[in-house]
Amino acid sequence: MEHILAALAEIATVHTLALMSVGAIAGLLAGAIPGFTIAMAVVLTLPFTFSMTASQGIATMIGVFVGGLSGGLMSGILIGIPGTPSSVATTFDGFPMARQGRPGLALGLGVWSSFFGGTISAVCLIAIAPQLARIGLEFQPWDYFALVFFALTITASLAGKNLIKGLISGALGLLIATVGEEDINGVSRFDFGSDYLQEGFAFLPVLIGLFAFSQLMGDIRNPAEARRSLAQTGDIDIRIEHVKAAKIVLSKWGNLVRSSIIGIFTGILPAAGSSISNILAYDQAKKASPTPEKFGSGFEDGIIAPEASNNATAGGSLITMMALGIPGDIVTAVMLGALLIHDVVPSPSFITEAPVLAYSIFIAFFFANFLVLFFQSIALRLFVLVTKVKMYVLAGIILAYCGIGVFALNNIVNDMWTLLIFGVVGYAMRNLGFPLAPMILGVVLGPIAERWLARAVAISTDMSNFITHPWSVFFLTLSLFSMGFGLYQRDRGKKVWPLYYTPLMVLALAPAMFMMEGYIRPGIGVLMIAGGLYALYRGHQKAAEFKPVAEESA
Amino acid sequence: MRTLHKDTVIAILLLLFCGLLAWSSLHIRLPGYGTLKPSTWPQIIVGVLTLFSAIYFVQSLGYPATDGDKADERKPGISGFLEYFRNPIICFAIYFVFLATLPWAGALIGGILLVFALLTVLGGWTPRDLIRHAVYATVSMGFMWTLFTFGLRVILPEGEIFSIR
Repeated sequence: MEHILAALAEIATVHTLALMSVGAIAGLLAGAIPGFTIAMAVVLTLPFTFSMTASQGIATMIGVFVGGLSGGLMSGILIGIPGTPSSVATTFDGFPMARQGRPGLALGLGVWSSFFGGTISAVCLIAIAPQLARIGLEFQPWDYFALVFFALTITASLAGKNLIKGLISGALGLLIATVGEEDINGVSRFDFGSDYLQEGFAFLPVLIGLFAFSQLMGDIRNPAEARRSLAQTGDIDIRIEHVKAAKIVLSKWGNLVRSSIIGIFTGILPAAGSSISNILAYDQAKKASPTPEKFGSGFEDGIIAPEASNNATAGGSLITMMALGIPGDIVTAVMLGALLIHDVVPSPSFITEAPVLAYSIFIAFFFANFLVLFFQSIALRLFVLVTKVKMYVLAGIILAYCGIGVFALNNIVNDMWTLLIFGVVGYAMRNLGFPLAPMILGVVLGPIAERWLARAVAISTDMSNFITHPWSVFFLTLSLFSMGFGLYQRDRGKKVWPLYYTPLMVLALAPAMFMMEGYIRPGIGVLMIAGGLYALYRGHQKAAEFKPVAEESA
Repeated sequence: MRTLHKDTVIAILLLLFCGLLAWSSLHIRLPGYGTLKPSTWPQIIVGVLTLFSAIYFVQSLGYPATDGDKADERKPGISGFLEYFRNPIICFAIYFVFLATLPWAGALIGGILLVFALLTVLGGWTPRDLIRHAVYATVSMGFMWTLFTFGLRVILPEGEIFSIR
């Protein structure tokens, strides 16, 4: 307790809070500018922390980190461009909701979900950091590959009505990520002798091209509509509905807690991060929802899940950094660098050796969520004015900003060409009825999956490792059910078999829990078997009196 | 002769694309080290894409030849296509010109011209529009260029006609 009070005295000073505020504002700005990543913002902050104490420097960087995670939602919801990869899934429902005349509610939901997700994560960080971090240590390459493979199977549930087009889109995304020099051996693939292709495609230009460029082209296709503003196209409420949004988020507490846990868990795993967690949380929210068909059309749960999880990921990655001294992503790696500059060497004994500094980081993360909530509420009022600008003005200026943003990423003009090429590809795919979300998923996760597969095979070519490691078994089993989710969604209410889908999944996951060490997780396995058998029995009863829901008339 | 459905044509193109990539994946250099060959992962993906494309092709054969979901306001033929997609085609072309002339015009002047051209093509070119678009273009790109150059210390592409160094 004395360490917590000492840490509180370090952080709760006017000077430190002012520094954190500047960091939070800078993070919000960086997150909102497409092409400007959180990692870039944190790296730029690093030199300014040299003259600060260790706790002040880290607190400032945490302000930037949390601000950046929250800032991405502003551009994602209002203009359909995810400011950072961690807000990709937010655009799936946030942008349609803004288009339906409810940008204020969409932004409010995003802000409050981020806040609650971050706060839940901060509480976990303070309460159970070392225990949670040990789970991260259990993961080996086979488990990581299985986790990423599971994330890839989400393609099936993101495909929407046309499953095969969604799957093709996902495979094309994976293919795009293989172009150019691979990470492991440095061998060039699919370059056809071109220097441009040999460099490969950077992720953000592809993302912005596919999502933003193509969306803007769709917006200005009709000359008459291009000369209207969002506010003119319908009844638009541009007030930020904080109270309503906070109530909605709290009323969907199941989704909020589940998404936060997914975020924390993904953050704990080194090299996973918020670019994966937001998509995983979105997918799980859709699968758990009684109305999955509403996702993608401006549904509240579709905003809550990714925003809660991406902010919770920050706490998760701090857990690994603090408890084990392992940076989970670039941002925490830079923070570790900042600690080293101040002669603090992070290690598994860091919390016991430097408890005041450790708790300062926990408390700074907790405070950062409140600061970001405050500053974002002010920033949103300015940002929401975007809806009053005519669409063609918005499109013209954003297209130029996108170009500059992607250039700033690597200082390479070729990235601007990539933006244009994938703008054309994205627009063509939209018009041909191919969903773009699975493609984005493929581009993000493809290289990660290949890297872990290579590591797994490098350690041992024995493929049975994939079915002897508990976490690998867990995620591969989950993947099997995830692949069938598209069919489950299609047949639910129309056929009998979907009644057995969830109980069978719970039963199939139980063996993996028995393979895990200790008593708690096998205990959970026993509960899963009991719950699964009961749900199977209930499903069988329902099947006996099943009447299919009539197909909607065309 | 029966007209091919749009999806059938796309499926055939995808299958041809898969064939090209499969051929290219056979020519990926294999270093003498590393257990996972650099060609393995791409070949798995090409295999999966080929399978999906084949399913898509078979499915598309069952679709009626006339495209029921075609945009109703679109006229048939190339001229109808060009008219319907006029704005996106022009925007892509302007962006192409912006990138092609970037080494000469630079990010600041090129960017201002890009925004001005896009706004004028999409929003009209009455004298009042032209003045307004010029102001929007100069202010928006000037702000962004200043923020990146002096605020974030990112040196944006400098053209032959304007350089700050």
